[in-house]
Amino acid sequence: MQINWADTSFLLAPEILLTVGALIVLVLDLLIEDDTSPVLPGFTLLALVSAFGAAAAHLVTGVDDVALFMFAADPLTHFFRLLGIGTALLVLLVSVNYVQARSKHTGEFYSLLLWVTLAVVLVAGAHDLILLYLAFEFLSITSYVLVGWLRDDARSNEGAMKYLLFGAISSALMLYGMSLLYGATGTTRLTEIAAFFTIPETQITGLYSIVVPALVFLLAGIGFKISLVPFHQWAPDAYEGAPTPVAAFLSVGSKSAGFAVLARVLLEAMPAFQEHWTSLLVVLSILTMTLGNLVALRQTNMKRLLAYSSIAQAGYILMGLAAYSAGATFPADGLSGVLIYLVAYLFTNVGVFIGAVIFEQATGSVAISDYAGLIRRSPWLAFTFVVFFLSLAGLPPTAGFVGKLAVFYATVAKGLYFLAIIGVLNSVVSVYYYFNVIRQMFFMPAPEGAERVRMPASMGLALAISFVGTLLIGFYPEPFLNLANMSRDFISALPLL
Amino acid sequence: MREYAVLGAFLLVGIVLPAAVVIGGWLLGPKRANPVKNSTYECGLETVGETWIQFKVQYYVYALIFVIFDIEVVYLYPWAVAYNRLGLFALVEALIFAGILVAGLFYAWRKGALAWF
Amino acid sequence: MTLEQGIFILASLLMLGSALAMVTARSMFVAALWMIGTFAGVAVLFILLNAGFLGIVQILIYIGAIAVLILFAIMLTPDVMGLKPGPRYTGQWPLAAVMASTLAAVIVLLLVRAGNDWHIADAAPNVTDFAVQLGEAFMTTYLLPFEVASGVLLVALIGALVIVRDE
Repeated sequence: MQINWADTSFLLAPEILLTVGALIVLVLDLLIEDDTSPVLPGFTLLALVSAFGAAAAHLVTGVDDVALFMFAADPLTHFFRLLGIGTALLVLLVSVNYVQARSKHTGEFYSLLLWVTLAVVLVAGAHDLILLYLAFEFLSITSYVLVGWLRDDARSNEGAMKYLLFGAISSALMLYGMSLLYGATGTTRLTEIAAFFTIPETQITGLYSIVVPALVFLLAGIGFKISLVPFHQWAPDAYEGAPTPVAAFLSVGSKSAGFAVLARVLLEAMPAFQEHWTSLLVVLSILTMTLGNLVALRQTNMKRLLAYSSIAQAGYILMGLAAYSAGATFPADGLSGVLIYLVAYLFTNVGVFIGAVIFEQATGSVAISDYAGLIRRSPWLAFTFVVFFLSLAGLPPTAGFVGKLAVFYATVAKGLYFLAIIGVLNSVVSVYYYFNVIRQMFFMPAPEGAERVRMPASMGLALAISFVGTLLIGFYPEPFLNLANMSRDFISALPLL
Repeated sequence: MREYAVLGAFLLVGIVLPAAVVIGGWLLGPKRANPVKNSTYECGLETVGETWIQFKVQYYVYALIFVIFDIEVVYLYPWAVAYNRLGLFALVEALIFAGILVAGLFYAWRKGALAWF
Repeated sequence: MTLEQGIFILASLLMLGSALAMVTARSMFVAALWMIGTFAGVAVLFILLNAGFLGIVQILIYIGAIAVLILFAIMLTPDVMGLKPGPRYTGQWPLAAVMASTLAAVIVLLLVRAGNDWHIADAAPNVTDFAVQLGEAFMTTYLLPFEVASGVLLVALIGALVIVRDE
């Protein structure tokens, strides 16, 4: 087999740029004595921006091909590349001051941020169970290290430990699922698995019976990354212990990678079993949003609140996949609803974490009660928080509203009325705890002698970008809807290789 | 499978022979115990303190680095035996693989993980 | 019963017995030693499957490196001799037993139901060629996973040094 190197490096340009960038940053860190040198974040930024540019160029020029047979460079991949790298860009902007204040290992942090971004894009494009598993482990291992980054902080250690233990179990279950599929079909390529199951059930009845257990095992592994109930237990502790920018990355970057895999496995490998997985997803979605919202009501720690809130959000996003219907027009197909929701969720959820980082950096606190009187201490920060919480609750005129509208639209179009009603009820519950934080900020008096909350320029920039993004999608959603519409094509449209 | 018959035979001999020697010695040897003979070391020094000690964390770092490069070698072995059948590009591919890990070695070295003290 | 079947049964008994002894051992150190028995059984299974290279790798990596690493990790703990062993079972063991048996029951049930329908791989390649074929596969079809593996190893190295090393 001859490999065309020019084509391959073109198709994998974002991944290659991230790899080279991560290696350069690692070596630069060894050559530069000063941990606070701006060269390190500067190079990281350069690598991320160039990878982002390459991915955007692929999307715009409509590249649609399989590179090296295991990685699908299709519009869906381009979309998740943009999402993952975009998350990393925002996280990098808030990380600089945060990690410099807390650790001597800043160079490794930037390098790992690039590696974890690489893992996200690899996961999103993996088109074969082998690459998928390897990329998934890559993402997990890098995440464990990043969560345990604050090595002298017992909470950080605890979070990393729990994340690792849950991760090991769920990835073992996922391997069971994969081996069942391989044993039945004799292939690891997603589209070939789907092709195998076009053989009528009467000829291979026994093999059809492995599909549901295989699905459940796979969902355990992927659901762990997305923090679906009941695979969510690690999330609150990991988010609470992790450096806050890392928590932001986990809740958005790593979660969207999980959704990319879920979409690929279900839609490319198992389209024949849609009835089965739809009912599974409906149950998981209801459990996830209900439990996430109910437990979030009782939280007093901002990071834990956001952890439960992001569990609940995963439940809403899952509604879109449950409502998937292959032939439907945009945006009733469900997948495009997932994509729009994820873009909205990127700006909103990273934004709210950025706000939390800024507050933590200025005051050293993550307790919700300490947010009292924030309106006097930093009116801008308080105002952006309001917009982010509105968006998380799905109220207009914000990005979250557009995302939720798209997902609910598809759910109703598919006829899943019960799921839609549960979703609406959950949104109502979530308003309560989001507004509880807003109430603290606006109507509770600030403690005596509280100083103004100051933010470093880079953090302010990241906050501004998320803020503008959240409002822009709310007021002017057309370009983002077009993006989702463009990106919902995935590889199965291509001939089998 | 037949190729492993030798391995199996070797394993068998490896288990039987030492067992035969020990059992034979126990059967044939005279058994006259005395305090000197029963001491842990008939010649040599008595141990002081616990025989099991808590290790330095440095051992662990070494073991970790060893595992990582052990796995690297295992990955490169199939490449090496197939080298003649593969072209120049395989060399480039393997160099990329090794290069990423050499960066890791360089990192470990510069961070002082390879120094004992 | 053929010779292969006999070896298979012996290796399986070794694996299951060691695994059971491992999870019920009081001392961490003893548990880690039992784990080596399981690894050895897996190596035999690889060889039975005509994947001799993987069998050797299993011994080299799992017994030669991973088990040693785990033993080192246990020797880093203050109670290396296991003089103060913890309880053999935690209160959750009935639940864990139910979960494990359910999983086992599901898998056995699937094996039986799928019966002869399971995909059987083509006759295994000539054993002496196994590593060569693996090398060719690494450089062509599996090139991307091959390169990703080096990234995984590098990240593990960085993480280990950042988290483990004494300042």
